[in-house]
Amino acid sequence: MSLHSTNRARPRKPWQWIDIRGRRTGMWAFALNRLTGIGLVVYLYLHFVMLSQLFMGRAAWDGFVELAHSPLVLAFDVVLFAGLIIHGLNGFRVALNGFGIGVRQQKTFFYGLMAVGALLLAISTYLIFTL
Amino acid sequence: MPKLHVRVLRQRPDTQARYDHFDVEVPDDANVIDVIEACWRQDQNLMYRHACHHASCGTCAVRVDGKEVLPCIVPLTACKSTDLVIEPLRNFPVVGDLVVDVSAFFQRQAAAGMVITRDAEETIDGHPFQPSELLQSDGKLERRHYNRFENCVECGICLSACPTLSATDGFFGPAGLAAVHRAWEKSTNATERAALLDLADRDGGVWQCHGAYECSEACPQEFDPAEAIMDLRRALIQRKVAALFGGGR
Amino acid sequence: MPAPHVVIVGAGSTGAACAHDLALRGLRVTVVERGEFSNATTGRNHCLLHSGGRYAVTDQESAIECIDENLLLRKIMPDALELNDGLFVALTEEDLGFKARFIAGCEACHIPYRELTPAQALAREPLLNPKLLAAVQVPDGVFEPWRFSMAFLATARSNGAVCRSYTEVVELVRQNGSVTGVKVLDRVTGKTDTIGCDLVVNAAGPWAGEVAGFGGIEVPVQPTAGIMVTVGRRMNNMVVNRLDKPSDGDIVVPQRTTSIIGTTSWTVTDPDAIDIPPEHIQKMLHKGIELIPEIATVTTRGVGAAARPLIKRANEDERDVSRTFECFDHKRDGVEGFVSISGGKTTTARGMAEKLGDLVTRKLGLSVACQTRTTQLLSYRLFYA
Ligand SMILES: Cc1cc2nc3c(=O)[nH]c(=O)nc-3n(C[C@H](O)[C@H](O)[C@H](O)COP(=O)(O)OP(=O)(O)OC[C@H]3O[C@@H](n4cnc5c(N)ncnc54)[C@H](O)[C@@H]3O)c2cc1C
Ligand code: HEM
Ligand code: SF4
Ligand code: FES
Repeated sequence: MSLHSTNRARPRKPWQWIDIRGRRTGMWAFALNRLTGIGLVVYLYLHFVMLSQLFMGRAAWDGFVELAHSPLVLAFDVVLFAGLIIHGLNGFRVALNGFGIGVRQQKTFFYGLMAVGALLLAISTYLIFTL
Repeated sequence: MPKLHVRVLRQRPDTQARYDHFDVEVPDDANVIDVIEACWRQDQNLMYRHACHHASCGTCAVRVDGKEVLPCIVPLTACKSTDLVIEPLRNFPVVGDLVVDVSAFFQRQAAAGMVITRDAEETIDGHPFQPSELLQSDGKLERRHYNRFENCVECGICLSACPTLSATDGFFGPAGLAAVHRAWEKSTNATERAALLDLADRDGGVWQCHGAYECSEACPQEFDPAEAIMDLRRALIQRKVAALFGGGR
Repeated sequence: MPAPHVVIVGAGSTGAACAHDLALRGLRVTVVERGEFSNATTGRNHCLLHSGGRYAVTDQESAIECIDENLLLRKIMPDALELNDGLFVALTEEDLGFKARFIAGCEACHIPYRELTPAQALAREPLLNPKLLAAVQVPDGVFEPWRFSMAFLATARSNGAVCRSYTEVVELVRQNGSVTGVKVLDRVTGKTDTIGCDLVVNAAGPWAGEVAGFGGIEVPVQPTAGIMVTVGRRMNNMVVNRLDKPSDGDIVVPQRTTSIIGTTSWTVTDPDAIDIPPEHIQKMLHKGIELIPEIATVTTRGVGAAARPLIKRANEDERDVSRTFECFDHKRDGVEGFVSISGGKTTTARGMAEKLGDLVTRKLGLSVACQTRTTQLLSYRLFYA
């Protein structure tokens, strides 16, 4: 008997993926983690594109720094930070769970970390817009 | 006698799924299984599974208003309204209407080997089952003794609730991994224990879990498969770390 | 020449055990069940693997059958049984007066028993009514009925039997006074087809009369329903019986995480439409509380009802295969190739199947002995292997 003997549940429609009826905290935590994870990867590439400005000479880079200080981009930075915080903290939770820590308290753990995250985000938002 | 409006997701292997509407009347104290049965009396082509009507066989699991339940123990009074939507479990192939194919699930349970029925002598570490002993000061049962894999009725609800399984086929699933965990926990034979950990370590094993905990939320037996999965992860990490430093075992 | 083909109608414990018996004797077997396997009387019974104690005074023939099968199933059925023993407890002086007769009955039927003092009984069963006067321990057990039947079907299947659920018999095919097959409606495909065979076994429980009627044969069945009330917590370790003659609500069977109180008895017309009288539920709880007072503090988890198939004998002086269940060869109704089996208990399903197998092989002119006594059953899970 192998681990892989499954007859495929047919047909697996994409909408089932967002069938959230009956789902609770853990599903949201997982979904959030996946979305932010993907978001971060996308950002990583964006980030490379930005860094590549360095190769395009000083003017281009200065122009970019200028743009980076526009409120719109600053707001984007906040979103990025939110994603990073949510993903990082949640990843921290999942990893600790894997060590057997905080498994039963997973919901409290999640909400607690998200509260910490909100605080961090508030502070960083303040810093982003003031510095 | 409340009048109910029920929508049941109907399908056959070769047909498009559709919702059929039923208007039924059942006694006030009826459970959802009685509603399904009332629909069946109107249309005996309606396929559904049931046997015990008291959460022991595990056959009747379906989704009611999107949430996985054993309809035999859900009273109508627990439903939001007199409109019900009844659908088969997710993440299983559908045989017809509310009947899903549980073959792969039972094959995995068999591979895990752990049986669910037990003698009293096995209930608490060799002592007979004594409810009063299990009561904590607040009158609640202590989980450690009460919520064990042996409470599982193999209903498949945790598999339907699992977001990992709705995207991947190869996952062993919560109940299966919990069975592996319990077998590992109970075994005193080192070789067997190692083999069980190997099983949990493989592709489709505990590392595929994303920690959404929906299985434990949905389990009608108040069992906690996610906890078992995380405990297997802990044991595996421990083993890997020990192997790293101890030269391997 | 290929082995004779037998179609079994109904996959309750009786049909499932018959499939196992006949497949093991080398026959080709097809089981057709109109719903989920074991969805009816078997699925919803009281789950008591009888030690025979319950019948030790009133029906010793049944009691002996029960203890024999009980001790045998322990050896051959892997994972559908909880072997926790049972207690018969005396709550009143009247119950106490019954004790001597009960013990004499156990002895006459070779049912192992042990007398416990109230203190010993309470030590093992803390939630028992503390006012108990005496207790006797017997080897009762508990089965999970769906898994019980599936174990037989799994083994039958491994021996070549074909097991079809959601396949309903709608007609018996007859040719010159013989039944030569069944017409079935497959609920998955919606198609009807005919399964030809050498013999049909009617194991349709309370529907046995209906199935026989498809062939124009009269089997007068009087379905008699009983209810089981399941509470939300396991209250007892062992099966708890009232030490008295069998009566309504006198057993609390612990099963898995629950306890089940039962049962009652009333006649119904249609086994598909059993309306549960609310006062029966109250009665069960009331009787249950007498045995285990703490039942008053827990919620009801589920209520189920099932119908016993009681058959009136067509001809009283015609000798039956057994008195504890009915096994008709419809030859006496002028029909060949058709046998009905019903009654008995889930506990005695294997024994019933043995008798049926003897009759069937005799009718088919074969002489193969029953081997189910010594054959290990497979796990119910392997039905899906
Ligand atoms: C309330 C109650 C409590 C009981 N408690 C116990 C107990 O604790 N211990 C014990 O050992 N025994 C107990 N019994 C007895 C035991 O349950 C029965 O003797 C046994 O289940 C009968 O099994 P069966 O297979 O004959 O009937 P069933 O289980 O009813 O099986 C008949 C099957 O035939 C199928 N069928 C019907 N018509 C058709 C058709 N046209 N085509 C195809 N299939 C069809 C049905 O779907 C059904 O599954 C109890 C009985 C009752 C009523
Ligand atoms: C801050 C530190 C980080 C931590 C602690 C962390 C932790 C984790 C963990 C534990 C998981 C697995 C979650 C699960 O099993 O569902 C995960 C998934 C993932 N992470 Fe991170 N991560 C971090 C930063 C990042 C960054 C910077 C990126 C992007 C470049 C990223 C991208 C992803 C992606 C794409 C996934 C897969 C998501 C999924 O499968 O649902 N992570 N992370
Ligand atoms: S663990 Fe719970 S939800 Fe999963 S199969 Fe067992 S009883 Fe059902
Ligand atoms: S009918 Fe057995 S669990 Fe619901």
